[in-house]
Amino acid sequence: MTSSNVSRRGLLRTAALGAGTLALGGGLSACGSGSPSSSADALTYWDWYVTQAPWVDKEIELFEKGHSGVSVKKTTQQNAKYPDLVALANRSGNPPDVFMIPQVPSVAEQVAKGWLHPLDEWATPAWQSRFPEGTFLEGANVFDGKVYSAPLKGSGPQLQLYIHHGVFKSAGLTNPDGSVKIPRTWDEVTSAAQTITKKSGGRSYGFGFGNADGIGVLAWWLDLFVRGAGAPGGAPTVPGTGMDYRVGKWTFGTDRAYADFLELFVEWKKRGFFHPNSVSLSDEAARAFFERGKFGMTVGGVWNQPEWTQHKFTDYSLVTLPSPTTTPKGFYYADPVGNGTFAAVSAKSKKAHEGFQWLDALTSPAAGRRWVQDLNGVSAHPADNDPDGIDSKPFAAFIGMTEQVLRGPVPLVRNPELAGVAPGVPKPDISDVVTGVYTGQIKDVQGALTSLADKKFQLLSDAVAAVAKQGKKVSTSDYVFPDWDPTKPYTTKKKA
Amino acid sequence: MSLLDTRERRRTPPTPPPVAARPGLGRRIRAAKWSYLYLAPMAVLLLAFVVYPIFASFGYTFYRWNGIGEPGNYVGLANFRQILSDSIFWGAVEHTFVYAFVLVPVQLLLALALALVLNNPKLKFALFFRTVYFIPVVTSAAVVGVVIQLMLANFGDSAGSLLAKTGMTDGHIDWLGDPHTALAVIIAIGIWHTLGYNLVYFLAGLQTIPAELYEAAKLDGCGPVQSFFRITIPMLRQVGVVIVVLAFIGSFQVFDLVQVLTGGGPYFATEVVNTYIYHLAFGGSAGAAAEPDIGLASAASFLYGLLLIVFSALQVLALRGISRRRTAAGQ
Repeated sequence: MTSSNVSRRGLLRTAALGAGTLALGGGLSACGSGSPSSSADALTYWDWYVTQAPWVDKEIELFEKGHSGVSVKKTTQQNAKYPDLVALANRSGNPPDVFMIPQVPSVAEQVAKGWLHPLDEWATPAWQSRFPEGTFLEGANVFDGKVYSAPLKGSGPQLQLYIHHGVFKSAGLTNPDGSVKIPRTWDEVTSAAQTITKKSGGRSYGFGFGNADGIGVLAWWLDLFVRGAGAPGGAPTVPGTGMDYRVGKWTFGTDRAYADFLELFVEWKKRGFFHPNSVSLSDEAARAFFERGKFGMTVGGVWNQPEWTQHKFTDYSLVTLPSPTTTPKGFYYADPVGNGTFAAVSAKSKKAHEGFQWLDALTSPAAGRRWVQDLNGVSAHPADNDPDGIDSKPFAAFIGMTEQVLRGPVPLVRNPELAGVAPGVPKPDISDVVTGVYTGQIKDVQGALTSLADKKFQLLSDAVAAVAKQGKKVSTSDYVFPDWDPTKPYTTKKKA
Repeated sequence: MSLLDTRERRRTPPTPPPVAARPGLGRRIRAAKWSYLYLAPMAVLLLAFVVYPIFASFGYTFYRWNGIGEPGNYVGLANFRQILSDSIFWGAVEHTFVYAFVLVPVQLLLALALALVLNNPKLKFALFFRTVYFIPVVTSAAVVGVVIQLMLANFGDSAGSLLAKTGMTDGHIDWLGDPHTALAVIIAIGIWHTLGYNLVYFLAGLQTIPAELYEAAKLDGCGPVQSFFRITIPMLRQVGVVIVVLAFIGSFQVFDLVQVLTGGGPYFATEVVNTYIYHLAFGGSAGAAAEPDIGLASAASFLYGLLLIVFSALQVLALRGISRRRTAAGQ
């Protein structure tokens, strides 16, 4: 830009933008945890990993050793503000070189806005082949045939029933060899809760949870218990999930597993099996209560474990998919769409090549192995998910549960044009309904479930119609897989 | 002077005193220039952060927009239709009105009673008690909410069990988790938290009443009850109107206490309009994370604003009516 074409308004705008960017950059750096390198030439990287920070820091150290002259400056942002900060950074034209992909806006929108750098130059078929088959999905991490990201995490069973050994032993729930009698069916769970509540004399309850944070804890209970009962959609704990692909609908109102479990759930409450303050406890407090033996069973994910491990509390077991029968009729299903993306290289980066090298390092099998060994979760590389060599028994048990995750239908594989379909979330959603049933505010359980299922399908139909209006060939039948057997892995065939 | 002269004089209206010509607007502004100068910063801030956002956000009511980038999905009046047909919105309006109409009368009666006691010149340590009752006001509602939430939910299970064992309650009550008790608990905390404001207002009002009036009433044989109804209440009428209006305005803005104590739950049992708007604008609620929708939140804000304008107008009309009736009765 020459001096002749700099308008006063343009100058002011540039000055404001510069000041804003400096302020934003300064502010962001101030709240981040910088790596040892803080050179202005460093590769900038943003994430929201707080508890996983030791793993990231170790990876930075290893990367810098292996790539002389390239340093990584990490900034860890607050999770809740992360999407806004990434959006602001992109709008101000000063995004980090590599960043974890925010959940909002969708990856498709971020690609459309020109935020992400296509990786095809480096992500060759040979490079892609190190990931499991079907990882690179159009609409997930591939758009118009170009690769934009790669996965870090693999699919593990989302939720487990945690069993407190001390509480069980105090209630006499042990096998002849002295080990804890782990309940696996709905009846066994009910019986264990009854025994604990009765024998503890008010010191402990069978169950407990912390529903005060509005994070949908009660949907977790429904999800965990109905899957094994043959409702493969479970309860949508994340928007856009929970569909029974056999019929391409949410089956809350038609699959009796939902109403049956909710009836049992209310029965548990009426019989006093739950810690009485569960609705107003925070999830954090409930975790602490479980650790202290105030209840014998709770539902949660692998994210419960780091805190308990820090407190040296490991005297617990976990089971997944408790079912009405001894053999589960449904499972968890791999979610290549949700797990497919992790971080991306910024389209504005002047160090895109180095950015890819860093992304490559983070998503490598070796880094994945360390991800598992550091108790962070399941790796995208199946060979990394070996329970042997993991010191923490509960975490090793969780890693061993990856067998409970089967490959399921993926509508996006069959019809990539579905990528633009973004149905809204109804309010109340399933977790609200379960809360209403638990507290007695909803009396007509079946009616509430049917109404919710209808609303969710209507929102999907509207979203599909909106995309079809843009000339895309999409329909709600794209979500129907009548030949799917939920007890077996399924390979989705591409649309002819 | 004859009787006729006197009658004539009564018929003739008195000559009004000469009125000085009113200065022009410009002269009046110049005369009070320093006042305007002092008011200017606040006026600018008010325009920038209150008036401008009100009008700016009106545009968003016609869009579905998650707050990132520029709004592009124009939906016309659909947001208003959705809010008007949403039973959760009307539930939130009901809870807000219940909160205000229970809190304000109870709190004002308590504040007046306490103010009467604390205004007694013979009371020892009056200043200490005033400070004690005012302390909750200066404590942030968020802090109050967190502490009470911890006490009731996290640490209160033993106390709850104790109440149940002694037979004072039918069973263990989850004060903030039971839809039958949660709103009542919030109202009780709200009364306690802001009682100090009204106490101070009433104390100020009481101190403007001349002591001679009470002394004269005493000489005329009035007891304390008569003095209260014949002197205190009429003399507090003006300040009372202001206190009632301010108390209602404050109550209709309830947000932080509810957000921290229950987040509007369980199952929307304590959802008030401001938490409803907040959940729409920033996503998430008593359930799985929902996409934020600034358009819907703006529409809800506007509808609630209209409701409050109607309510305020009715309140002003009612107060004027009462004032007119009293004036007429006095004549």
